[in-house]
Amino acid sequence: MTEVRSYDLAAGATFATEESGSPARLLWRRFRKHRLAMGSLILLIVMALAVFAAPLVEAWSGLDANRVDLMARFAAPSLEHPLGADELGRDLLLRLLYGGRVSLTVGLAAALIAAVIGTIIGLAAGYFGGTLDALLMRLTDGVIALPLLPLLIVLAAIDLTQLGIPAEIAQSQEASLYRIVVLVALVGWTPVARLVRGATLSMKEREFIRAAQALGASNLRIMAVHILPNVASPIIVATTLAVGNIILLESVLSFLGLGIQPPVPSWGNMLTNAQELMYSAPMLAVWPGLLIFVTVMAFNFLGDGLQDALDPRAGQGQGY
Amino acid sequence: MLSFIIRRLLQSLAVLFIMSFLIYALMGLMPGDPIDLMIQADPDLTPEDQARLRALYGLDQPLTTRYWNWLTAALQGDFGFSRLFAQPVGEILWPRMWNTVLLLGLSLILSLMIALPAGIIAATRPQSTLDNVINLSAFAGISIPPFWLAILLIILFSVTLGWLPAGGMGMGEDTGLWEQARFLILPVLALTLSRVGGTIRFVRASMMEALRQDYIRTARAKGLSRRRVLVAHALRNALIPVVTILALDMGMLVSGALITETIFGWLGMGKTIYDAIMGNDYNLALMGLMFATALTLLANLLADLTYAWLDPRIKYG
Amino acid sequence: MRQRLAALTTALFMAAGTLAAEEPPAAQAGGAGTLTIGITQFPSTFHPAIDSMLAKSYMHGLTRRPITAYDPDWELTCLVCQELPTLENGMAEKIELEDGDEGIAVTYKLHPEATWGDGEPVTAEDVKFTWEVGKHPDTGVAAAEAYRRILDIEVHDDHSFTAQIDRITFDYSAFGLPILPAHLEREIFEDDPAQYRNRTLFDRDPANSGLHFGPYRMVDVTTGARATFEPNPTWYGEPPAFDRIVLRVVENTAALEANLLSGAIDMVAGELGMTVDQAVALERRYGERFDFVYRPGLIYEHIDFNLDNPILQDRKVRHALAYASNRDVISEALFDGRQPAAHSNISPLDAVHNDDIPRYPYDPEKAESLLEDAGWNDLRNGIRYDGEGNPLRLTFQTTAGDRTRELMQQALQSQWRDVGFDVRIRNEPPRVFFGQTMAQRNFPGMALYAWLSAPESVPRSTLHSDQIPSEENSWTGQNYPGYANPRMDDLLDGIETELDEERRQELWDEMQRLYAEDLPVLPLLWRAQAHILPKWLTGLQPTGNQFPSTFWVEEWDRAPSG
Repeated sequence: MTEVRSYDLAAGATFATEESGSPARLLWRRFRKHRLAMGSLILLIVMALAVFAAPLVEAWSGLDANRVDLMARFAAPSLEHPLGADELGRDLLLRLLYGGRVSLTVGLAAALIAAVIGTIIGLAAGYFGGTLDALLMRLTDGVIALPLLPLLIVLAAIDLTQLGIPAEIAQSQEASLYRIVVLVALVGWTPVARLVRGATLSMKEREFIRAAQALGASNLRIMAVHILPNVASPIIVATTLAVGNIILLESVLSFLGLGIQPPVPSWGNMLTNAQELMYSAPMLAVWPGLLIFVTVMAFNFLGDGLQDALDPRAGQGQGY
Repeated sequence: MLSFIIRRLLQSLAVLFIMSFLIYALMGLMPGDPIDLMIQADPDLTPEDQARLRALYGLDQPLTTRYWNWLTAALQGDFGFSRLFAQPVGEILWPRMWNTVLLLGLSLILSLMIALPAGIIAATRPQSTLDNVINLSAFAGISIPPFWLAILLIILFSVTLGWLPAGGMGMGEDTGLWEQARFLILPVLALTLSRVGGTIRFVRASMMEALRQDYIRTARAKGLSRRRVLVAHALRNALIPVVTILALDMGMLVSGALITETIFGWLGMGKTIYDAIMGNDYNLALMGLMFATALTLLANLLADLTYAWLDPRIKYG
Repeated sequence: MRQRLAALTTALFMAAGTLAAEEPPAAQAGGAGTLTIGITQFPSTFHPAIDSMLAKSYMHGLTRRPITAYDPDWELTCLVCQELPTLENGMAEKIELEDGDEGIAVTYKLHPEATWGDGEPVTAEDVKFTWEVGKHPDTGVAAAEAYRRILDIEVHDDHSFTAQIDRITFDYSAFGLPILPAHLEREIFEDDPAQYRNRTLFDRDPANSGLHFGPYRMVDVTTGARATFEPNPTWYGEPPAFDRIVLRVVENTAALEANLLSGAIDMVAGELGMTVDQAVALERRYGERFDFVYRPGLIYEHIDFNLDNPILQDRKVRHALAYASNRDVISEALFDGRQPAAHSNISPLDAVHNDDIPRYPYDPEKAESLLEDAGWNDLRNGIRYDGEGNPLRLTFQTTAGDRTRELMQQALQSQWRDVGFDVRIRNEPPRVFFGQTMAQRNFPGMALYAWLSAPESVPRSTLHSDQIPSEENSWTGQNYPGYANPRMDDLLDGIETELDEERRQELWDEMQRLYAEDLPVLPLLWRAQAHILPKWLTGLQPTGNQFPSTFWVEEWDRAPSG
């Protein structure tokens, strides 16, 4: 049994001997050292607070994010409109806040759902192998190859009320948001599944897994306790990248006219709408573009920092 | 090993077959048929005309019958005519396939030329200034919306500087190689910039992972040179996830270079498939998607084989 | 002002052209270099009879001519014929049909010098061949009605023929069929009519010189990307000035703009180019570099009301929606007034347009009092409710991704909100919207889209009660609102067959009045073409109708100094 410890046994065991304190606190201590990641975390928290407070800002300012004022088109920044007004005379700041709400929700929700699906499928395929593996991986191949566009169009045409979804939701202006989350989650789990499977494959050949099996641990327990923590870092990298990617994907779908539908704003559709006004009203394109850029960057740095923190030895290279 | 390859090929064929039906069914599920789209462009179309055209294109028959007709013809090598371009599907797809391969191939080579050294350098000097710069640039590339990047590139290089054409594909045979190549620069650049960041990140991550393994330390302890350890041992292992990602990318790229192709007017598969789906061109969309599917499956198979070659611990039986 | 200038330059140019024609040897094609035109669409087939598509008409303007066309002043003129047949000049004659109805026989004389690019003359046999192709059920010609209405074509000699039409319509002088080269295509067609659409030389060998007889012929084509044209040596009209015309397809309008600014294209075709708001924004910055010519056309943006919706069934509510929408401000603010607000379905540029109809100027108070009358008088949080507590809620749909429509839609939503409407926007991709939602009348409230019209075209398919799509007629017809008014049916039937101009105009007038009173559809605006032209280009005259400006391409030239 002494053999076991010398290999990558569950990270927790290493934590316990290395330093004192709970694993979570340790994680936090390591994470804090990563300045860019810390900065990103703070930035994202501030941003999340700001965008989810959009209705408060709206009530306080007395403006309406959807109220069109054709006389105030492209208004320059002023006290009333701190960032100016858009092509329909709506307050740009409010639109950006509401847009951020939508973009962040779509990115986070879809990425999390996708990660959960992908992890379960990847673990099962890698661990059990054999026919199940073959089946699940062919399924994965199939989903990867599945054309996103016809799916989106079909989904846009499905009458949601017939699926038992209340008419209030199905006919709301936010319906396009739910459609996108569901669709992205349904097709977005494959990279995680492939990565988890790959990691699980090389993991299950290790002695400590064999040892755990020999000791009579249940498969579920082995997967959850021994394998999952060891494959966590690729999941985290992939998922944080995914949040960013989905925010980007939403903007691309908007570009194709298949994204979040107006008047609900998202950073993606705001940017798309501004592309034709790039010469005449560049700030309309700069703000949403910048916010997408910064947010996606921040999620990436966050993932980076988390990875370093999760992997005890990652930061101990030559650097510093 | 051989039996593994054969089994996988057979499985892939089965997937391909199922996919062909799925795609056909999906397109059948999509609202509206080609005739509905024609009515929009031509208000003079009478109800009789509509019925006649539906019968002519076989649209009045049930989906399964249509699929069966298509399948039997396709198995005999007759892929039908494209409704959107009024030409045999093959004549549309072949040149576009090559355009796509050219665009993707160049972009892939350029990506690897940037990502491998950058990723390795970053991984061997974590948290150094150089690492931070590489990381920052990688993230910056990933984080720009692709259509935005493409338009910015055009504004900079075509409108402001006037160095490169804003799009298109060259004039034909009567111009030189350089003239033709100039049209490739911006699309390749746009595609590479928005994708290379991801590759750098994966090279870096898996390289760091590999460098942490015990056998690397052992190799170093045995006195092997740093360079040899890096290349012969660490890189070999680090490439596993990189290969996975690239393989997955290949298939998606075939249909996913859509944005680049649209903005630069590059006649590739992504745009063709998109137009075919939007324009309800069954024959063209099916063959295009089947090609993308086949390529993805093949890439996955290659990825798995490379796995086996790179990591002897993974066994196939 | 600009339009008048353009017309003036054209007139001057034409005068110069006639002067040149008096000295025959001077009539030499070319000399003006290359003109590169940016368009946003590529035709799906080059065959003139199969499918109808603006991009194809635009290209065919360079390479061929219809027998008759509506010119930039929307007057019917002869392009390949020598004289329009009328009852007055005796080239049109009423005939009695076998079933006792009245038909008409029209005689056309083709231009004697019209010659295909390979030297074969364009003959009446070609016209007859075209008719045979079009009426054959298996060839896949989309709109075959025009072919079916022709009972027979009698060829008198190489250049004249008489067509017998099965009904007399007011526009009997117009001949809608294109001309196909029988000497190249007949064999392919007769070999297997069902395969003709796949084998036609127009798509198998589009650069074949024998397919064209216009001022230009296609010399090179890359499907989906570009087409190159050079002067056709056999062209019988005024020699064109440009040595080469290149059409480049750039679908993304932001990229189209970049191509224009970088000089990769010389001009953007108004027929298939930028949206007006984009052009207006561009003009503010580059008004010095290019000429911007706006021409309101025949594309009618409007909102269909679903008349099965209990809220919209009430005419007062429809009138309230009209009074509450400030269409003039939308036109002015969003499009610089370049796309005029519409008040009925007949363009003010159309000869049959009637100005004396009810109008609905912006008047929110009137809208509110109408809604009070209609029983929507319970105002809570700015939304109106009726006595039973039902909200005044309507769904509003259009094609997703069409920026111009989305802008108008959001402006209207906001304006209606001011008088108490709770309007929910729910947009769909075009193929869902047209293919299912509209085609099967699945839109619950309002739908914003456009109809393409033609001068003096009778709006039968959109207003006649027998054109309401339903399960029983397997969803045919385009009367999507479900508008049924017997008087309207009578008027439409009457307009189609009334030959007396004055009486027909009376019917037209009443039709437009009734339309505006009943308001089954809310007129929004007339979409305009935005032609963005280099300063040195002369002679291009936008038409605004279904015949693109390229039908007069031989008048285009490069100004001497430029």
